[in-house]
Amino acid sequence: MVRVIDYVEGDTLLHRLNPVAKLALAAGIIVATFLARTWAVLVALLVLTLVLGAYAHVSDRLRSILKVLLPVAAVMLALQCAFVTGGDHVLLWMTTDGLTSGGKACLRLLGVALPLILVLTVTRLNDLANACVEVLHVPYRYAFTFTTALRFVPVFGQEMNAIMEAQTARGVEYDTKNPFRKLRLMLPLCIPLLVSSVGKTDATALAAEQRGFYLRTRESSYRRYPLEAADWACVALACSLVVLGAAL
Amino acid sequence: MQQDPIIQMRDVSFTYAGAPAPSLEHVTLGVGAGEFVGVVGPSGAGKSTLAAAMSGAIPHHFSGELYGATLVCGRDTCESSLTDISRVVGSVLQDIDAQMVSSVVEDEMLFGLENFGVPHDEIPGRVEEALSTVGAAALRHREISTLSGGQKQKVAIAAILALRPRALVLDEPTAALDPASSELVFETLRRVREREGIAVVVIEQKVALLAEHCDRVVVMSGGRVELDGAPREVFAHAGELRAMGVDSPRVARVTNSLVEKGLLAPGTPPSLTVDEAHDAVAALLAPKEPGGASAASGLRPAPARSPHAPASRPHAEGAEPVVRLEGVGFSYAGTGDGVSGVDMSVYPGELVGVIGQNGAGKTTLTKLLNGLLRPAAGRVLMAGMDTRTTPISTLAREVSTLFQNPDRQLCKNTVIDEVAFGPELHGVAREEALARAGRVVERFGLPADESPFVLSRGQRQMVALASVVVMDPRVVLLDEPTAGLDYRECMTVMDTVRELAERGCAVVMVCHDMEVVSDFAERVLVMADGRVVGRGPTDEVFAQGDLLARASLRAPEVARLSAALAADVDARLGGRTQVGDLVDAIGEMVRNG
Repeated sequence: MVRVIDYVEGDTLLHRLNPVAKLALAAGIIVATFLARTWAVLVALLVLTLVLGAYAHVSDRLRSILKVLLPVAAVMLALQCAFVTGGDHVLLWMTTDGLTSGGKACLRLLGVALPLILVLTVTRLNDLANACVEVLHVPYRYAFTFTTALRFVPVFGQEMNAIMEAQTARGVEYDTKNPFRKLRLMLPLCIPLLVSSVGKTDATALAAEQRGFYLRTRESSYRRYPLEAADWACVALACSLVVLGAAL
Repeated sequence: MQQDPIIQMRDVSFTYAGAPAPSLEHVTLGVGAGEFVGVVGPSGAGKSTLAAAMSGAIPHHFSGELYGATLVCGRDTCESSLTDISRVVGSVLQDIDAQMVSSVVEDEMLFGLENFGVPHDEIPGRVEEALSTVGAAALRHREISTLSGGQKQKVAIAAILALRPRALVLDEPTAALDPASSELVFETLRRVREREGIAVVVIEQKVALLAEHCDRVVVMSGGRVELDGAPREVFAHAGELRAMGVDSPRVARVTNSLVEKGLLAPGTPPSLTVDEAHDAVAALLAPKEPGGASAASGLRPAPARSPHAPASRPHAEGAEPVVRLEGVGFSYAGTGDGVSGVDMSVYPGELVGVIGQNGAGKTTLTKLLNGLLRPAAGRVLMAGMDTRTTPISTLAREVSTLFQNPDRQLCKNTVIDEVAFGPELHGVAREEALARAGRVVERFGLPADESPFVLSRGQRQMVALASVVVMDPRVVLLDEPTAGLDYRECMTVMDTVRELAERGCAVVMVCHDMEVVSDFAERVLVMADGRVVGRGPTDEVFAQGDLLARASLRAPEVARLSAALAADVDARLGGRTQVGDLVDAIGEMVRNG
């Protein structure tokens, strides 16, 4: 699960685009998803994301994130139905208005999450950070913080796994079927995890400073990230998606 | 060299903010261009603090009270910025994952070069050169998370080298590595020093590596520099070193013992490598007159059971094995790594070592033994329980594991609660659990009411071990029990483990330190590529050079020396793994002619 945002090797146009253009495209899809009112546009935007994913050979990543999001979407649908009670009665407590607004909320949830995941799987974190610094003038320290946080997600995931294994081997019943009991048993583990992550973060800050972190400017990056024709086309596509979303 | 030191510490003392005692006291030390300096000492001696002071992390990153002056290229570190100091002194931290700032090797290399404003047309050349110097050119496009520990160390060193510093400071670069990778790191450092003339300062517990590679060894204890000189001078002080809790290379111990017994002339410097010791002994035993060797016929052959080697324990013939593996196989989804066809029996009271390279399947084996992994083929019986059908929490009553990193095991606020936690988990009443924990904590001399997290690394390992002992288990699994410990802590831990075995507990120990294995294990299992490729009594296995080579291992120094002497001096010196044995045998041969 923690590895779904890892970079997937590839040479498609989507891989080669400027990271900022990819971000613009994702932002375009997301804004359009928020603005769109009709089923057709919402579904079309979602399909567009999935098609792009298939084109970049990262469908399996999107599928695994869908597995996590669909249950969340189902809960959202149920809640929306409970609060929106206009229209005809359909089933149990659900009404037509409730189903419509709930269904659209679910599509929006997926429409926001998937484009972001798509961008992260086809872009190296370093390129994303450097391009944002160069093109968008984001201060490097923010970009570095963001990429380091993402990089640490799997590291801490592994650490948590190792801690759980050590505790299981002592006889703590993580193999219990009861999820609440499991959660209660897991809470004390936050202490060792916190201790190790504070130490790690501090060491990383020191290591970065000892390699000239504070000297870094917008011109430092060895790789350059100029916006080319394809990138501008991508930005234009993003803008037209927003217009489309607002109009329809 | 000494006229123009790159790093010069003058009477430096440092106390971390909030710490009761200083970590460095009146340290005066100079490091000249092209020197290869090893720093050794017991835990808490101030070694990491020394590295931090040399690299400018003190005073710029860690706060505290600092006296004296550290000069880097003649400038006081208090007056230059950490960034400017790092242009001269590159440093590699202890936690190698924290050292990395990127997810791909090439980006890791670029980071420093970009920041320090190296002209962009120079960058590709520097990246290539640094990677090839450390022998990692093939790794350039790899994801860092897919590298082994040794490869990560190489990349970290290359990333610093590319910046062309004048000195390199490394804090225990081999702590998590197997013997072959440790050797590789030191060879890399030596090459760096020779090719680029960079001064190297390395903190290291493995004294054999220091003796072989460094041209200067600094011994620290209690925040002070106690000894400073060429390895040959330093390791001649074996007695003082031992009193401080610092080991000497085994070959040095052999020649030192021969001097003590009057067999070698007083003042003979200690040998630093197996070859040197071999030559010294060969010269000593060279026949004074032709045919003289035949007079030595009264010499005993290599003892079947050495008085110095771990004694065979009373695991009684006919006793049922408490650990039994039959044709066990397991493979991780996706990678295909794992183990296959493992058969193994361990009897009560036995101490069995498992050795092999990183990735040979040793950790997988321990996880199969404590139930964290269930076998895909064959079966694992622990104290009569089949791990496939028994919950781990039930197995844990009889099978205790001591993990490599004690911090993953500790989760309570006081030592006594931590130790009592195990019995409580298995239904012992709190009063009774505290009483049992109290007895163990007292025996180990641990502070019962302290938080485990404020203790030293060695003491935290002892707390974790106390949590194992309090369970009074029938099987104990040890995963690198001595990694990161100094010599004295290592002996304390292992003596406790030996006591456990003597009381009838079966112990399975995965260990990279061949010296510890040869001192404590009576039987050894050699693993490579997920299979058991050899097994037998410890001294017999260590005598099989080709078997060990196949598993990318090397016998401990004494076994190698014994084999070399047996090959071309006298066959009766073969098959010995303990310093005392070999010295006794040599002594007897000298006496007999």
